[in-house]
Amino acid sequence: MSKPPNFDRLLFGSEERIMRIGNGELGGKAGGLVSIAQRLEKTFSGSAGFSARAGANLRADVKVEIDIPRMVVLTTEVFSSFMKQNDLHEFVKGEHSDDRIAMAFDRASLPAEIVGDLSALADEVRIPLAVRSSSLLEDAMYHPFAGVYATKMIPNNKPSRDERFAQLREAIKFVYASTFFEGAKQYRRSLKDISQEEKMAVIIQEIVGTRIGDRYYPIVSGVLRSHNFYPTGHAAPEDGVCSLALGLGKTIVDGEPSWSFSPAYPKAPPPFNNLGDMMKYTQTRFWSVNMGMNTDYDPLGENEYLSKGDLSDAEFDDSLRFIASTYDLRSDRLLPGVAKKGPRVLDFAPLFYMEDLAFEDLLKDLLKMGEDELGTPVEIEFAMNLDLKKGLPARLGFLQIRPMVVSHEKVSLSEDDLKGDNILVSSEQTLGNGCNEDIRDIVYVKPDEFNPDVTTQIAKDLGKINEQLLEEEIPYLLIGLGRWGTSDPRCGVPVLWGQISGARAIVEAALPDMDAGMSQGSHFFHNVTSFEVFYFSLPGGADKTIDWEWLSLQPKESETQYVRHVRCKESLRILVDGRSGRGVIRYNG
Amino acid sequence: MITESFNPFIVAQKQFDRIADMLDLDPAVRDILRQPMREIHVAVPVHMDDGKVRVFRGFRVQHNDARGPYKGGVRFHPHETIDLVRAMSMWMTWKCTVVDIPLGGSMGGVICDPHNMSLGEQERLCRGWVRQLRPNLGPLRDVPSPDVMTNAQHMLWMLDEYEALTGEKVPGFITGKPVGMAGSLGRTEATGYGLIYALREALKEEKIRISDTNASVQGFGSVARYAIELYTRLGGKVIAVSCWDQSDKKPYTYRKSSGVDYEELKGITDRYGGIDKIKAQELDYEVLSGDAWLEQSVDVLVPAALENQINKETLSRVRSSVKVVAEGANGPTAPDADKVLEERGVLVLPDFLVNAGGAICSYFEQVQSNMNYFWAKDEVLGKLDWKMTAAFMGVSELAKKKKLSLRDAAYLISVSRVAIACRERGWV
Repeated sequence: MSKPPNFDRLLFGSEERIMRIGNGELGGKAGGLVSIAQRLEKTFSGSAGFSARAGANLRADVKVEIDIPRMVVLTTEVFSSFMKQNDLHEFVKGEHSDDRIAMAFDRASLPAEIVGDLSALADEVRIPLAVRSSSLLEDAMYHPFAGVYATKMIPNNKPSRDERFAQLREAIKFVYASTFFEGAKQYRRSLKDISQEEKMAVIIQEIVGTRIGDRYYPIVSGVLRSHNFYPTGHAAPEDGVCSLALGLGKTIVDGEPSWSFSPAYPKAPPPFNNLGDMMKYTQTRFWSVNMGMNTDYDPLGENEYLSKGDLSDAEFDDSLRFIASTYDLRSDRLLPGVAKKGPRVLDFAPLFYMEDLAFEDLLKDLLKMGEDELGTPVEIEFAMNLDLKKGLPARLGFLQIRPMVVSHEKVSLSEDDLKGDNILVSSEQTLGNGCNEDIRDIVYVKPDEFNPDVTTQIAKDLGKINEQLLEEEIPYLLIGLGRWGTSDPRCGVPVLWGQISGARAIVEAALPDMDAGMSQGSHFFHNVTSFEVFYFSLPGGADKTIDWEWLSLQPKESETQYVRHVRCKESLRILVDGRSGRGVIRYNG
Repeated sequence: MITESFNPFIVAQKQFDRIADMLDLDPAVRDILRQPMREIHVAVPVHMDDGKVRVFRGFRVQHNDARGPYKGGVRFHPHETIDLVRAMSMWMTWKCTVVDIPLGGSMGGVICDPHNMSLGEQERLCRGWVRQLRPNLGPLRDVPSPDVMTNAQHMLWMLDEYEALTGEKVPGFITGKPVGMAGSLGRTEATGYGLIYALREALKEEKIRISDTNASVQGFGSVARYAIELYTRLGGKVIAVSCWDQSDKKPYTYRKSSGVDYEELKGITDRYGGIDKIKAQELDYEVLSGDAWLEQSVDVLVPAALENQINKETLSRVRSSVKVVAEGANGPTAPDADKVLEERGVLVLPDFLVNAGGAICSYFEQVQSNMNYFWAKDEVLGKLDWKMTAAFMGVSELAKKKKLSLRDAAYLISVSRVAIACRERGWV
């Protein structure tokens, strides 16, 4: 992979779409994009840069442009200078809360050798920017760090260059600071064999989207995965899975409701019991960059410039035309599009009826190209913009690509294997594949003490136990109620990945009054798969599917009001059949 | 200092005349730009510590304010002359204009030797100078700043006196104040960093990577030091540094062919910028004669200490490897040497362009002081880089277009901008 050219103020505004500031490393995320960009360029030689249509595998009449949104990478060298010049290495060795770290970084100065380039960038560019992390360890360990470090979106639309420059500087320093946030430190501790220090490159990238009123967002955001751990109907795991959402991709990566389907069967009936469920559990709110007055001045917050709208806002923006269907009361079915009045459902059906878009082929081609480039199953994030009136031409911005870990160990479980004695947990909905016989420790949320008001405290308790077990290098099984890693504390335990990163198997039992569908954010989900953690989902709840009595008899190691840590005399036997999705955890005697 | 054979004001006027001819300026414009707009000569009586009163002679020369309030230093020097101050005020106009800051040029001074004055006497002198010039100074009239033998303390005394006279807090009256007392972050580094920003752009245009270059620097004061720091951080290698040795009363050049270590040198430097010779030898630096910095086989020469260093006599010692001379000091290259260097294909980055970082930051300080709201250091330096780069690009573009030296192009830009301002105001 050759490095992109140096940022040059004279070149800005030219055809160069990827540039760098500094001579250091690009980090995992930026490196992945550069290699994909070069692949696009190689594949479609003769075209100008990679803004050319990726039409080789598509029909000639397809009107979609695929590109990497313009970006500038601040290499790890800049991060190193920043840390050194501001004496921050010593500071981060101390115990500080995340907001204190963010504050200290915000007060520090970016290196004199790059601030002029940033100032020039702020002068030239007036469109919203995403300031993303691109970690060196991601690259060095061939291990994607999904959602571990911050991304900050900035509207970058102030009339004054000075204000835009200030927003940009604050965002970069916030991303730098996130390298040392508690969640990130815990995450790194959970990785084995880290022989080098973390260094951060930063990507400053154009956000693909359209400004409508005070909102700026892409019409479609998507995450594509090569492997589907939850295939439904005729879909096979290797057909992959795609999740789509209206607005910024934050909806998908944070695990809010989105629309998922197999690219092989995009029109297959959705896995909902009825239309009522579908309207309830599909996306109803979306994220955008707030281009208007910002009432929450919060340079230390990741969502400072974001706003959340609902479907009536999207309707007002006229952005539902090609992505929503309408419930027709008379026929009791969904009609693609928004021609008629009625409740809207974000099922993206009109996209698949747009022949000139060939969306289905497009998704398959993207996956194939990503897999060919990385030589592994992949996960791809993208954003797509459509002409609001006509739909086409469309522009697809390739935002991120990372490898996906898929185990091919052969474990076969029948329905009968899930029954019988000595079963702690069994489930028809699991994630992962293989067998584990090394776990003796179990950390579980006490069912009698659980209530949605205390989930934040539970997350803290778990974080402490996790830290201790990590230090002792003891793997464990984690059992809890509600959705793990949710951003809404009422729906489950809002843990960051770093707070449970030592768990090798996780059990999630549905709360009585909620849908327990697996809907973790793609970052959480990505961590589960890339760390090869077994994930057991119990949609029917915990009462009859977990052997609580046996658990309560196990010798206690530690206990808080809400969480108990026990150590069994003998190892558990955890089996997960990746093909059937069945899994079982057995104990001895 | 003026010698019988060297009158800086005559030099400044000759430079101007040449540019005025190139621009074909009409007589009225020439006349107004060739002379300062205003000169104020003051007598400042000071009660000395011995009980006597001594009267000091001082000046403020205001060259031109067509583009904005005057801006210029205050010098305390026993050999101060009105002609030197006149020349400096004119050069200040060109300097502010070439980097496109909305200020005019002025300069002030007092004939005195602060070394022979107590702090109390210096304070009374500063206050007296302000009292005398009060009607002609002010944040929207003329803004003083430190220069030869004046410092932040002098500026604070002057500010305090001005505020006492006006009955208002006016932090924008003066610049060069300490940080925390209405001074600006980044001010200390500004001239040295600004020089390197310009050098970086020049090398880019020459298609030379800064990391492939090495340099020899005259001086280790604030300009040279920060220039060395940033140049090294950008990948360049400084192999020789020359500076004054206070105990031996002569300069030395310290050379290390593997590259000097900025932090290491800073650690063995006294507060006047003198490097400890013995410690330098212990750290494997070769100690050479004071002018040896000039004869190094390097890509870049940075004279950042004294004027008239590259002249007819020393020119033959400049090696053929030298591609760029970046003038950190004022007037380090004599006009005749300048011409020869140009013929040899050496790119000379003119002083009033590349050492304008201090003036730019001084302007930033004035802006911040007038708002009474102060910027982060990276904001200051980002804006400094942007200004310096934009100025360099403008000069370089004109030089290429008109096939001129960078110095002539810089003068052309400055003089024409001020001439236009005078015309548009309806003065001429």
